Amino acid sequence: MPLVSFGDLAQSNLLRQQGAAAKARIAQLSQELTQGRASDTARHVQGDLGPLLAVDSSLARLTGYEALTRETGLFAAAMQTGLSNIATLSLDAGNGLITASGTASTAHVRAASIAATSALGSVLTTLNARFGDRSLFAGEATASPAIGSFDTLMSALEGAVAGLTSAADVAQALDDWFAAPDGFGTFYQGGAPLSALPIAEGETVAITVTAADPALRDTLKSLAMASLISRGSFEATPGLAHDIARRAGEALLTGETDRSYLAAGLGAAEARIAEATTRNSAETTALQIARAGLVAVDPYDTATRLQDSEAQLQMVFTLTARLSRLNLTDYL
Amino acid sequence: MTISGSLSSALSGLTAAAKAAEVVSSNIANATTEGYGRREVITTPRAVGSTGQGVKIVGVHRHVDPVLLGDRRLAQAATAERETRADFLRRLEQAIGTPDSAVSLASRIAELDSALLQAASLPDSEARLSRVADTARHLTRQFASAAQAIQDARMTADDRIEADVDLVNRSLVRIAELNAGIRATYSGARDPSALIDQRQALIDSIAAVVPLREIDRGHGQIALVTQGGAVLLDGAPARLGFDPAGVITAEMSLDQGSLSGLTLNGRPLSSRPDGPVQGGRLAALFELRDQLAPAAQAQLDAVARDLVERFADPAADPSLLPGQAGLFTDAGGDFLPEAEAGLSQRLTLNAAVDPAAGGALWRLRDGIGSATPGPPGRAAGLLALQSALVAPRQPASGQFMAGTRSLAALQADLLSSVAADRLTAESEATYSAARHEALRQMELSAGVDTDQEIQSLLLVEQAYSANAKVVQTIGQMIDTLLGM
Repeated sequence: MPLVSFGDLAQSNLLRQQGAAAKARIAQLSQELTQGRASDTARHVQGDLGPLLAVDSSLARLTGYEALTRETGLFAAAMQTGLSNIATLSLDAGNGLITASGTASTAHVRAASIAATSALGSVLTTLNARFGDRSLFAGEATASPAIGSFDTLMSALEGAVAGLTSAADVAQALDDWFAAPDGFGTFYQGGAPLSALPIAEGETVAITVTAADPALRDTLKSLAMASLISRGSFEATPGLAHDIARRAGEALLTGETDRSYLAAGLGAAEARIAEATTRNSAETTALQIARAGLVAVDPYDTATRLQDSEAQLQMVFTLTARLSRLNLTDYL
Repeated sequence: MTISGSLSSALSGLTAAAKAAEVVSSNIANATTEGYGRREVITTPRAVGSTGQGVKIVGVHRHVDPVLLGDRRLAQAATAERETRADFLRRLEQAIGTPDSAVSLASRIAELDSALLQAASLPDSEARLSRVADTARHLTRQFASAAQAIQDARMTADDRIEADVDLVNRSLVRIAELNAGIRATYSGARDPSALIDQRQALIDSIAAVVPLREIDRGHGQIALVTQGGAVLLDGAPARLGFDPAGVITAEMSLDQGSLSGLTLNGRPLSSRPDGPVQGGRLAALFELRDQLAPAAQAQLDAVARDLVERFADPAADPSLLPGQAGLFTDAGGDFLPEAEAGLSQRLTLNAAVDPAAGGALWRLRDGIGSATPGPPGRAAGLLALQSALVAPRQPASGQFMAGTRSLAALQADLLSSVAADRLTAESEATYSAARHEALRQMELSAGVDTDQEIQSLLLVEQAYSANAKVVQTIGQMIDTLLGM
């Protein structure tokens, strides 16, 4: 049958379809233009969401690393302050002891010993310092203090050196006590050193300094040795106090090297944390840019297509108006 | 040739013109009625003996293109089928969650990942451990809600199958009635066009459910056969049977007999996508309920299983015995590989670490099986959990490509395959819809054109006036005769 007519419904149906399609396109394009990203991300990346999800999951992990680097960095900085405090105290006490041991005055030695006693108290307080709610030098036992009290230490040591008459014997007794599991082993109340923490993808840092570290232990030992003088442990043997003061002073000065190494190790960890922080934040920025690149739509392209659709819809409206006026009954 | 013969011719012309006017008015009245077939009066010269006398109305022709109609119905069925499938995949994608979604499986996994790292930074912080427990619980809820969406889609499909079967049954009965009515008009020589219009509209209403072929049985009778070969109507209407399940869970399936199949007049009828009802919405709904949704659930369960097994590994948590549930449990118990079906719904946070369930947060740090808290600053356990989450691992089940990957990457594979399927289904549906639209447009363009009808009305008017003039003239002639 040759087509001699064109159904009324066909015309209105065609216009309705075109109008609806143009409107839907305008809605989609204006959403994309205002949000700056594709309205259907899966379609935009042709169904392969793998890279986009990998970026998202890396970004989330970086927020985890951010907490790690920030908090571990602060913790290490607090420890570093403590260590430098201990170093200053030990050095001052050591110098005082050496100077005093060079003089004949017993009072001078006694005064240096009293200074060492107060330094020991400060060092113990520093080692028991808490950062927020965590013990700094107690390793994994962050809830408990790192080390026992001054009185406990001194009464234990007084017992260990009682009756000894030579400086070498005293030093040996102190060495034994600080090496013994029931001596310094119980005096140190902390736990094992903290485990290594990840600070960036595939990178860990370990803050292993505790109050039981040999450098700190030897510092404690020398300060305690000097403190014993002022508590009257060596008054029975003439000249012993001088010997003890010299030994303790020398040990404190030579211990400076070990303490420096300890601080240097911690400083290196701090530096790595700072580097990781910078790298992580650079990576975050890079990933955010990459993510935007994956989902973003070109605003120029979108705006152009929006304009096209707008023109098309206007055309449909014009045609609808024109065609509806175009019927035979109006002309009869 | 007689005067009364002329009068008779003129009268037949008047009748024909009146009939034509009636048809034109009916056409114009139905100009916007879908499924209305344009009518036309067919006339032929009337012969009395060997001479022609007047015009005879042969009948009213209803314009319809059966080939186009058949094609349009098939396209309608194909569109409904593909749109049903695309719609399900779209819902599935939303249920799992895309990067556009506010909440998704991917974002929940990422939150757990960063919560574990943050907790490792301050293992003694209750707030940090509590956040780990919260994010882990949210992850189980996301799995459950995605799986629930899948089962909801199956339930909706089951309900819609029932509605469609009901629609087909009711329509078939009415089509059979109309068939009988049309036969009656044939014997009584009345115009069956209106009945045929109604019948066509009824068939159109079920064409989306099952693709139908209309077979002409003569005398205006039709038989309906599905594209796949099931006879739905031939004389008497067939009756489809279906028994909806109501609530559907992941364990229920057609093969087990816990879900209903189709019956035709009481005999079982295959509901498979290549069976007798293939190609329409009904087949798509069955495919959704019995194949697509269970397959999606199985994939989701495989990801859930991967999650459970990552944390149940004694390497991730040395306090666990082999086979013992780790951070995530199967409804509170240990996970058994044979009970994988429906795991996503049953996934729960281990009560040992959940303060709301009487557990203690420190077990996140010190191991699920630990009896007493360890040193509060120990981060190793939390770091081991985080490594378990991101470690490359070969999934133990599911249709995934061989290879090891992190949980996030496995989830990305799941979502990408759903998204790719959705895009394919959508483009197929778009193609089908465009084809359906084009055929419908062709069908509509053969419909009533009011301009053309008005034009014919002008002709009818002219013919009517002319015939009336003839009657008037003949009347005058007869008056002349009588007045002589």
